[in-house]
Amino acid sequence: MIKKIRWEKYSRLFILLLFLVVLTIIRPNSFPTVNNISNVLWSISVVGILTSGSIFVMLLGGIDLSVGSLMGLSAVVTVLTIRHFNYSNQSVLLGIGLALLVGAAAGILHGLIVIKFQVPAFLVTFATQSIFLGISMVLTNNKILSCLEPKLFTDIGLGKIGMFTFPIYFMIIIALISYFVLNKTVLGRYIYAVGGNPQAATISGISNVKITMISYIVSGLTAAIGGVVLASMTQQGMASTGSGYETEVITAAVIGGVSLVGGAGTIQGAIVGAVLVGLLNNGMNLMNVPSTQQGLIKGMVIIVAVAIDVMQKYERKFSIKNLLKKKGEAV
Amino acid sequence: MSQEYILEAKMINKSFSGVQVLKNVNLGIKKGEVHALMGENGAGKSTLIKIITGVYTKDSGKILWKGKEVDINNSKDLQSLGIACVYQELSVIPVLTVAQNIYLGKEPKIKNTGLIDYKKMNQMAQSLIDQYEFPLKSTDIVDTLGIGLRQLVEILKGLAIDSELLIMDEPTASLSGRESAILFKIIDSLRKKGVSIIYISHRLEEVYMLSDRLTILRDGMNAAILEKEEIKPVAVIQTMIGKVVDESAGSVKTLTKNKNEITLKVDNLTRKGVFEDISFEVHRGEIVGFGGLIGAGRTEVMRCLFGVDKYNNGKIYLEGKEFVPTSTRKSIKSGFGFIPEDRRGQGFIPLTSINKNIALTNYDIIKKIGLAVSSKDELEMCLKAIKKIDIRPNNPDKSVGLLSGGNQQKVVIGKWLMRDLKVLMVDEPTAGIDVGAKNEIYNILSELADKGVVILLVSSDLQELLRVSHRIVIMRKGHIIKEFSEGTVTQADILQAASGIESDEEVAL
Repeated sequence: MIKKIRWEKYSRLFILLLFLVVLTIIRPNSFPTVNNISNVLWSISVVGILTSGSIFVMLLGGIDLSVGSLMGLSAVVTVLTIRHFNYSNQSVLLGIGLALLVGAAAGILHGLIVIKFQVPAFLVTFATQSIFLGISMVLTNNKILSCLEPKLFTDIGLGKIGMFTFPIYFMIIIALISYFVLNKTVLGRYIYAVGGNPQAATISGISNVKITMISYIVSGLTAAIGGVVLASMTQQGMASTGSGYETEVITAAVIGGVSLVGGAGTIQGAIVGAVLVGLLNNGMNLMNVPSTQQGLIKGMVIIVAVAIDVMQKYERKFSIKNLLKKKGEAV
Repeated sequence: MSQEYILEAKMINKSFSGVQVLKNVNLGIKKGEVHALMGENGAGKSTLIKIITGVYTKDSGKILWKGKEVDINNSKDLQSLGIACVYQELSVIPVLTVAQNIYLGKEPKIKNTGLIDYKKMNQMAQSLIDQYEFPLKSTDIVDTLGIGLRQLVEILKGLAIDSELLIMDEPTASLSGRESAILFKIIDSLRKKGVSIIYISHRLEEVYMLSDRLTILRDGMNAAILEKEEIKPVAVIQTMIGKVVDESAGSVKTLTKNKNEITLKVDNLTRKGVFEDISFEVHRGEIVGFGGLIGAGRTEVMRCLFGVDKYNNGKIYLEGKEFVPTSTRKSIKSGFGFIPEDRRGQGFIPLTSINKNIALTNYDIIKKIGLAVSSKDELEMCLKAIKKIDIRPNNPDKSVGLLSGGNQQKVVIGKWLMRDLKVLMVDEPTAGIDVGAKNEIYNILSELADKGVVILLVSSDLQELLRVSHRIVIMRKGHIIKEFSEGTVTQADILQAASGIESDEEVAL
């Protein structure tokens, strides 16, 4: 009994370990190097940052499909500001501040529509995804705005402390904050409660409106931060710079065991999910899998991972012991 | 010997992860009898039924249908034998009509096409409904029906397939008195037609009234198999729980006035179209019972007092000061507590642990270190609650969704006991809960009242109302129509007032 619980709790870490071991055995020269690992982490850092905030919304049973285009908008806003003020250091701070404001405003908008008009989050954020992308396109006239200065800006995505680039540290810090809020604070308790049973939460004195608003704002803020980091990594502002990130976030969360119905899942699980996806991509590159085939393989791995996860949750029904028993009786 | 039994379960054993929940259990159902199955929560009733219906596999033992050993693995096997099951948790589909639900998967087809003959289906359903005089139409959308009526649809599903054995798990748990009476009539006519019924219920008086024979389970074993003439209330309860409980208290009660100061006063509270001019006063330490049929507006009044729903008119006074329940949080802070009727839907967070469910209403009194909740304080509170009201299992990390109904309810109650209450509203607190846990809940309520807490008890269980309340208010169609505050009152008095019958002779029960 105790063994089962342990296995369930740490199964993702176990799979992660398995990945590491297998890749180390297959590619002993190229995989387990500091450079490569740093690269893997760098490649998932933006997804990690986004997931740390989006998980708030997912725990409520909602979803934020706009994070990708909101990233684009925030990248564009930041770069435009920096360019407008002649690449000064102050303009970087102003640009980031404005991007965060945009993110928070987007969150407030989502929260209001979801609560006041009872429109499903899926539809609301699907619509705003298009709206944010549209605004970015108007602002940039659908051009790529490059931004190679100042150092304060380019360092955000490319600077290093020790072996790792800044975005990795950002991811770790933001994920830790997310972990703290979700696991240690009253707000975190309330989010799980509202996600698990909104009516019971109301009767327990929790304002669903407040919790929903906060969650969408948090999701908007991390999308804005992700946008700034990505703009710095690529040294440019482009409307479509973040498109597709929303699916990566959902992938990481689902592989990490976050329930899309709400009420269940952890940020540490979701981060491990993101790392797993990163390792998968990295592994395929190291093994020279043509990029044309990578999407195919990735999709199949995701299905297998999620299926295993679901089976674990219904272990009683699917456990090998029970299946054998049933067969034994039929004979 | 076994020829007279239509269904026999012999020497059934079953264990879950090493814990044996059924030990050599036998159950024999004769043709055309109503066979009651009783036992406390956790006695193994549900497990036994789930083995018979093929939801669980048995570890050992045999199941005989008309004398032949059968292997039931799913609901199809069950149907082909002629067994139907009416589950406690409804499995009707809300967006479909009554007829569509009844004939789901066995719709009549238009000849030589795969198309459903809706006209015929509706007629078939309607004639079935008329045959049993259900207050339903075949074309009603299930979503628009109340819980009680939905249950009737569930029963119709069982009747539609000409079953020889009908298993009913707590069929009256959500029915009003009138709806239950209809159900009893149906059961009686089914029995006359030779249909056997396994009847699982916690409502003892129903079992005495209906059953021909009775099997009692205790701790996963057969405690007794009784013939009709052997079914004696007090003996049955003793066999079930192995200790003496005075269930006979609760048919008559002498009420006395409470002379304490007034804690809660409600003045002409109105919610348009739901209830009107509700006025009452409750004294310190008083338990006021709210009787009435389902839909009388009792739950709705409680919800407004607690700040879940809004009201249009009227005033509420708490300890002499006007109180406006603008939010549930404000009500809780002012000393209100609410235990809702729909335990699963509104009472607790199923995926979350006992620990966090107990703490949910109490973070204002749990210590914090900076922004972080003191998990030590949180756990201490939970252990206190587990100890105080004996929640089982006593593991704080267990998800509440995995507990038995009685223990889930204890968690819901427990979170309110951890704070200072002035008014506790409890809505059908013991629906679907076994006798042992019921008594514990009654004791908790009386203890609270002794401490000066005002308790508003909404209940459709007459025994419960009489046993627990100091005073009884009867609601009907959104109005308070009667109050019993002094002298002797009986179940018949309450029923009479609740159904709006004035003269004694018309009382049906």
